[in-house]
Amino acid sequence: MTILLYDQLHIYLIIALFLLFCGIGGVIYRRTLIGMLVSMELILNGASLNLVALNRFLVPENSYGLAFALIIMGMAAAEAAVALSIIILIYRKYQHIEGENLKEMKD
Amino acid sequence: MNTAEIIFLLVIVITMGGAAMAVLSGSIIYAIVGLVTAMCGMAGLYVYLHSSFLAMMQILIYVGAVTILIAFAIMLAGPLYRRPREWTTLGKFTAALGVALVTFVVFSRFIGEAFPTGYAPAFGMGTREIGQVFFDRLLLPFELISLLVVVGILGAIMLALISRGRR
Repeated sequence: MTILLYDQLHIYLIIALFLLFCGIGGVIYRRTLIGMLVSMELILNGASLNLVALNRFLVPENSYGLAFALIIMGMAAAEAAVALSIIILIYRKYQHIEGENLKEMKD
Repeated sequence: MNTAEIIFLLVIVITMGGAAMAVLSGSIIYAIVGLVTAMCGMAGLYVYLHSSFLAMMQILIYVGAVTILIAFAIMLAGPLYRRPREWTTLGKFTAALGVALVTFVVFSRFIGEAFPTGYAPAFGMGTREIGQVFFDRLLLPFELISLLVVVGILGAIMLALISRGRR
């Protein structure tokens, strides 16, 4: 009996790793703050996919991973709301949302 | 290879392509479209992991709420023609690629060594089991998440009011 493709743990872990790869690259590579926020959402999604896949394959008798994935979703929604309000404040004050040029606190 | 596996490969391609588009596209609007595509692919992956409730929540929260919020922020943050291109310098692209590749190599070695292969037990967790876990064991995190969302809403409203008063 061959194992089906979607019944293997490694495929889900590699997809989650690819999402982490894209997210970390995007946080460094993107120029505007909204692009960085999009990349951060990708990282959070990779984490929750990891949790659900490990729960489904390694500990199938409880459902803590699903619960933590739901908690991550709620946390990501709150984080996006606060971050976007801060980004709009930055736009009103400086008239741009580029991450590179926000170095008032650094200087 | 049966039909389910072909659809699974399609879902994987949708997820990875959406993630790559969200990072590499030149305009921020295309990045949002890529994010929506990746989220829909993730919902398909959750269906293949036997957790349909989570797939529905993924569509509702990410595609329905977070993406609309980001689209509103793009509309409020000035006109598009004055926006700089998303592409930055070649050195920054190389740095991003290097850091991401180091992460990829380290964690892929970890994945290859640490987990068993070819083991797929039965898994049937519906809304009933998730609710029992939340209200039996994880009651404090559940309440803290609701507190976090309330504080986040209040903080966003306060930031908006402060900026209006300063103008």
